[in-house]
Amino acid sequence: MGLLQGASELFPVSSLGHAVIVPSILHWDFKQSDPSFVPFLVLLHLGTATALLILYRDQWVLIIRGFFTAAIRGQIKTDPERLSMLLLVGTIPAAVLGVFLESRIKSLFASPYVAAGFLIVNGLLMLGFEVVRRRSEHGATRSEQESHFGEAERISFVAAAIVGACQAFAFLPGISRSGITIGGGLVAGLRHQEAARFSFLLATPVILGAGLIEMPELLHAGIPLGEYLAAAILSGIAAYASARFLLRYFRSGRLDPYGWYCIAAGLGALALLHFGL
Amino acid sequence: MTRSRSLAVGLGVLGVVFLIIAALYAVGVLQILTSSNSGPHYKHAVLFAVLAVASFVAANFARPKTA
Repeated sequence: MGLLQGASELFPVSSLGHAVIVPSILHWDFKQSDPSFVPFLVLLHLGTATALLILYRDQWVLIIRGFFTAAIRGQIKTDPERLSMLLLVGTIPAAVLGVFLESRIKSLFASPYVAAGFLIVNGLLMLGFEVVRRRSEHGATRSEQESHFGEAERISFVAAAIVGACQAFAFLPGISRSGITIGGGLVAGLRHQEAARFSFLLATPVILGAGLIEMPELLHAGIPLGEYLAAAILSGIAAYASARFLLRYFRSGRLDPYGWYCIAAGLGALALLHFGL
Repeated sequence: MTRSRSLAVGLGVLGVVFLIIAALYAVGVLQILTSSNSGPHYKHAVLFAVLAVASFVAANFARPKTA
């Protein structure tokens, strides 16, 4: 479960969707109503967030320093300062929607059938983002096509807020947080690799914050902490490897394969669930 | 960003309001839009604290700068 969560959190294929569908298909004994399930997810998310912090440790130092410098000065002068403010603007809508809507939405849609349906929707969204993107591309080779698009620091503040707000759709099991933010970044004019970087940077404070706020649950739940910590470490390792792979992949790769995967996985899951295989 | 003293003051006041709401959620006085109707709500408190910080930062950006 740790490996599954860590890998699927950053791939544009919906970790929540997989966390709902896979245990159901494989008949794993995971009950989301179990009191120890939330602490378990919290630890897995902390593992993922730690991996992202390690991956971008140098950038986070610049971003945090840039945030305080720009906030005190009241003016943006450098790229890290601008990026820190973009991340703040992108994080606020996700945090507001997350605090007020997340538990309500998750409880409404926490069914493997619904997750499989939204996984298909997620696939169609990934393909749709690429269709929109291709319309504004020029050049014969992938590097020429990507060269016309910008870096994460150049995205507008309105676009950052919209991309951040889109993270709220990921509360629907089957809709991928990274997928929708990478897709949003592409539509906003970022290169694929930069859209992935912005998506991972945007995800870190939300995942880390949500995890840290739920930390007191770990102290009360009476959970098998050793096993859960091992799962969190595996989740972190999988997330780190996934992020490295995706950043390399998106130098020239597109969202299409993940879109087709989501459609196939959603249809396959629906069939397996329906026929009880 | 548009620089204006009144906008800066407005954002500063908004930040103070957010801070008060954060404190009320943290001590469990405020129960609006929460999943349970008792006890402190740290998630909501942290959210409003972040909103307060963002408001103060925006207020500083909106403040007219002396040359």
